[in-house]
Amino acid sequence: MPHRTFIWFILPSALAMLIFIALPIVSILVQSLFVENERVLVTVENCGPFGCQKEVRVDAQATAALQREHPLGRFNGLGTYGNRSHLAFSEIAAIWNARPTLAGFLSEVMTLPFYRALAFTLAYTAVVTPLVIALGFFIALAVDALPRMVKGPVIFMSLLPMMITPLIGSLVLFWMIDSNGIIGASIQALANDPSLSLKASATLAWITLFVYGIWHSAPFAFVVFYAGLQTVPQDTMESAMIDGASRWERVRYVVLPHLSPLVVFVALIQLMDNFRVFEPIVGFSAQANATSLSFNIYNDLRSTGTPLFGSAAATSVLTLAGVALLLTPVLVRTWRDFKRSR
Amino acid sequence: MAEIQLKNVSKRWGNFVAVDAFDLAIADEEFLVLLGPSGCGKTTTMRMIAGLEEITDGEIFIGERLVNRLEPKDRDIAMVFQSYGLYPTMSVYENIRFPLKVRRVAKDEHHERVMRAAKMVELTDFLERRPAELSGGQRQRVALARAIVRQPTVFLMDEPLSNLDAKLRVSTRSQIKNLHHELRTTTIYVTHDQIEAMTLADRVVVMNKGVVQQVGTPLEIYDRPANTFVAGFIGSPAMNLIDGTIGDGVFTGQNVTIKGLPATVSGPVTLGFRAEDAAARPDGGGEIAAPIFSLELLGEASMVTVQAGGALVAVKVPKDFAAEIGSAFSAAVPAGICHLFDAESGKRIAV
Amino acid sequence: MTAKTRRRPPVLAVLSTAFIVLWLVLAAFPFLWTLWGSFKVQGDFFSRQDWVNALTGVHTIAETGGPFTGRGYYGAWVTKEFWRAAINTGIVTVSVVLISLTFGTLGGYALSRSPHRYAFWILIAALIFRAMPHITLVSGYLLPFFQLNVWGYLTTAIVVLVAINQPFTLWMLHSFFKSIPKDLDESAMVDGCSRFQAFRMVIIPVMWPGVVTTGLFSFLLAYNDFAVTATLLTQDNQTMVPKIASFLGTTQVQGNVMYAVSAVVSATVPLFLLVLFFQRQIVSGLTAGAVKG
Repeated sequence: MPHRTFIWFILPSALAMLIFIALPIVSILVQSLFVENERVLVTVENCGPFGCQKEVRVDAQATAALQREHPLGRFNGLGTYGNRSHLAFSEIAAIWNARPTLAGFLSEVMTLPFYRALAFTLAYTAVVTPLVIALGFFIALAVDALPRMVKGPVIFMSLLPMMITPLIGSLVLFWMIDSNGIIGASIQALANDPSLSLKASATLAWITLFVYGIWHSAPFAFVVFYAGLQTVPQDTMESAMIDGASRWERVRYVVLPHLSPLVVFVALIQLMDNFRVFEPIVGFSAQANATSLSFNIYNDLRSTGTPLFGSAAATSVLTLAGVALLLTPVLVRTWRDFKRSR
Repeated sequence: MAEIQLKNVSKRWGNFVAVDAFDLAIADEEFLVLLGPSGCGKTTTMRMIAGLEEITDGEIFIGERLVNRLEPKDRDIAMVFQSYGLYPTMSVYENIRFPLKVRRVAKDEHHERVMRAAKMVELTDFLERRPAELSGGQRQRVALARAIVRQPTVFLMDEPLSNLDAKLRVSTRSQIKNLHHELRTTTIYVTHDQIEAMTLADRVVVMNKGVVQQVGTPLEIYDRPANTFVAGFIGSPAMNLIDGTIGDGVFTGQNVTIKGLPATVSGPVTLGFRAEDAAARPDGGGEIAAPIFSLELLGEASMVTVQAGGALVAVKVPKDFAAEIGSAFSAAVPAGICHLFDAESGKRIAV
Repeated sequence: MTAKTRRRPPVLAVLSTAFIVLWLVLAAFPFLWTLWGSFKVQGDFFSRQDWVNALTGVHTIAETGGPFTGRGYYGAWVTKEFWRAAINTGIVTVSVVLISLTFGTLGGYALSRSPHRYAFWILIAALIFRAMPHITLVSGYLLPFFQLNVWGYLTTAIVVLVAINQPFTLWMLHSFFKSIPKDLDESAMVDGCSRFQAFRMVIIPVMWPGVVTTGLFSFLLAYNDFAVTATLLTQDNQTMVPKIASFLGTTQVQGNVMYAVSAVVSATVPLFLLVLFFQRQIVSGLTAGAVKG
């Protein structure tokens, strides 16, 4: 295809991605260097029947004018990155100096918003991704062995948790684990502890979110692996049988190697998706016990009064750095394959 | 109707040279076959003529027109693809009509022209079917009909028979030959099958690794191969090529001694002869003497293979020839049937 | 697989069937439960005493006179004007699907047919873009959108969703186009089509299954989105998902959780139908990227 034709075909798509994906990255880089304008304060003397009082007030007009003049806010350099809501260098140093034990240090660090969110995001990604792959694989194996008749309905039901809107799916589960909901109440009854709540403890909240994540994504892994199982080479399978391989050995030496590219694919997609976890936190109202990087950004943007653009942007930049780290091995591999194939 | 000229046409992808300085004039009404093993650049050459591949260097003329920068649709060509390229969503009739439709040929002509083309390839009974409902041979004929319906200046055919079974291939081959005879359209035909090339072509271009090895009529190429590549590619079986040295008109190699060759040549050479030109010498005393390696019955004759000059050499013998593998065999290879090639370059040595 | 390689010892068969049954309960029960509960009053669906109340509907009978009630739906759709959100969602998803597919088929086709190196790099860039958390992009839009006065409109959300959708659409359509033999468009071009005509008259008719599948996934992305619609739309223009989220803030306090439950069920119905009718396409779509990409 000549270059000119190619350009015309790709133009709409490329422009859309350039303006709304590439440019916003520039935008957050710039925004992260600024913080909100300070409000303009004026001192007014209020004289009433009981004498005069001096009062400090916000000059709304002047504030608005300042905002118009400097929509980005004040230039702050890298200051936002270092403040308490982000990398919190000075706080960490202080904690380090005050706390001699590592455990104590870590638990203090976990009270800092950025590290709290980072810890949950990483834990979520690290726990959910492998479990989704494992669960999906076993469902695929089991469904593959079912009679043809029931496969359709089984696949249909299995797809539901994945197709559901994440926020809605998490709400559905949230209502069930409510202390008045079916699961929450049953657990209380089973444990014989009427104060037990899945929402109250941080550990339980984390586990709930992990379970939700696995429930939501396992169907994806299942479908991909199930399709892969349909293409397992029958010749190899049969020659493995003739060679005397047991059932497990056939799975281990024929099926798994055949599926391994799919495992890489699912893992890649899952890493990307789990790293941006945030709807379940909203759905489960779990922000008291668990926040993620994406949630922090959302929270800054929705903060009452003025959105904290600078703060959100700084977290965004740090998040993107995390995504970049996550993608590096994949990109390096693709690049090597590409080099070799030429 | 037009002649086609390729002037120093080259195609490169990065450092890889697919076609190197292809230079040829194809006469009006000629049936030209591009022949070579896969990856030799024959298809690329055809695709450059069609405009499906950009030309790195050189010029292509169709008639008087320089077509380098023209879109395929503006080159007035028709092409039959290896996998036919039929439109799966259209009926056979619509498939054949498609070129007329997109080229805005007057609507009232369509039906008559489609029917004429369909009749030429005996498809009139299948016009309402979808390509998926046709056999391989029928699909092939739809592709042919779609090419001839427009009466283009040039036909291009890219291995049109390679997806057919052996029997159909023979009958379709003669159909193509007959079509060309009737339509008299300049045709370029790409194949890796030397029998197709021999049977169809007015002239054959043998290519290897992007380089033209020889251009000539089928007979010229068969009788006087320009180098060992052409010799080893043309004929069934291909020409026997054996290594040895020549001096004073005598060629010697492993199990071989041939006298009476030109005395002007000396040094290491490759000697070639065709299996059907040689003969068995049951009484012994032939130029080749070696134990039989294998004996195969072909039907109209048998083929004896022996080891000579560092290669397996085939000799055609009568079909009633009987011998054990391993028994002694002697073959007459007179100097008159031999071709000599330079041992280094493989080029034919004129004698 | 053939019968022989499939045959399993009975213990394994029982275990595997039990496992599947357990999984199906986990996968489907929450939806059935919520659907059932949405026709009850809060006292039953969130029953302090006994979950059996939700089945029998003690409070529902006491409060409304019947075992089932549509109060939650009335409250959500009429009182809280959920229908506005439903219409907005309709506008957004249909527009996003149509525009995404138009852009995506053009781009995906070009990428699948270009032998040049830059096509590979565009795909890699799309892969990187695919990994961007949506909320980080949103935080890039918000301030400029305020400044340009385009914040809050459905059009803005549509354009943004189309763009966010492009990397995925490109990849998917690219792999579908790859599976269509090049001979097809090349014959069309030799037969007299320009590149665009070949694309429109020959390739697209063959591509329908792929286009439908990709369209389904574009639909899902637009329909399920929360990050973009929750932050880029005004209250009046909200689509269903952020509307439900905002219900939570208000209704929980007022004791109207059942409005949210009904809204959730309402928003799930289209997805349910989608899976019901397009199961095959969804499965093939999920695997297309994996098997070929």
